[in-house]
Amino acid sequence: MGTDLPVDPAMLREEVKSKYRDVAANPHGEHHFHTGRPLAERLGYDTAMVDAMPDVAVESFAGVASPFRLHALREGEKVVDAGSGAGFDCFIAARQVGPSGRVVGIDMLAEMLDKSRASAALMGLAHVEFREGLLEDMPVEDGWADVVISNGVINLCADKKRVFQEIRRVLRPGGRLQFADIANGKAVPASAVRNIDLWTA
Amino acid sequence: MLEEIGFVDVQIGAPCDTFGGASGEKQARRFDVYGYPFLARKPG
Repeated sequence: MGTDLPVDPAMLREEVKSKYRDVAANPHGEHHFHTGRPLAERLGYDTAMVDAMPDVAVESFAGVASPFRLHALREGEKVVDAGSGAGFDCFIAARQVGPSGRVVGIDMLAEMLDKSRASAALMGLAHVEFREGLLEDMPVEDGWADVVISNGVINLCADKKRVFQEIRRVLRPGGRLQFADIANGKAVPASAVRNIDLWTA
Repeated sequence: MLEEIGFVDVQIGAPCDTFGGASGEKQARRFDVYGYPFLARKPG
C-alpha cells in the first residue's frame, strides 16, 4: 500500500465486497442507506423512466445523487459506468443514449454483475454490457468513452487519485466525467479515516 | 484533485440529503455528509 493512502486498498475492497454482496442479495434488508425505488425518487431521478424498469433492475440501487443532474447524455454517446453495481445507472444511461449508443458497466462483484446482466437481458438492452474489473484498472481501451459516469463508488476507493487518472485514460479528449458522490462538510478525525470499518458504515 | 489530474470546467451541483431517514443519518449529520453531482471535462 502506498504510504500516503489512509487504508490498505485490498482490505478496503474486501470490506466493500462484503457490504455490497449483501445489497445484491438482500436489497430490502437492513442497510445504513436507502435503496431501490424510494432512493431513486429521493435523488430526483425521472420517475417515468424508473417506473418503467422491472423491480430487479432497481431494487439494489444504492447511489448517493444523480450523475445525470448536471448534464444529460446525448443520443449515440459511448458511456462507461465506473462501479455499476446492479446496473441501475447503466439502464438510465441506455435510455438516454438510445440504441446507437453503447454503455459499459464495470464492477468487481460477481453477484452484482450477474444481477445487472440478467436485468439487461430482461429489458432487451443489447447496447449495454457489463465487465468485471476494478476502477483502478478498468477493462476499457484508451479514449473509448464519450462520458464516464459513477455513483457513490469513488468514495469507497482508497486511492482516489489513481481512479481519476484511470477515468481520464478511458475518456476521449473532450469527454465528460459525470459522477455523484458523498462529501463531508465537517472534518473527519484522522483516526476515523484510518479505521477501515467506518468506510462502509 | 480533479484539476490536478487534468480535468477542466469542474462543476458541483446542489447537495442531496442522501441519508435522511436512513439508519446512517446520525453518522451523516455528525460529519455533514451529503451526496453531490459533479461534472468535469477532459480537455479536447
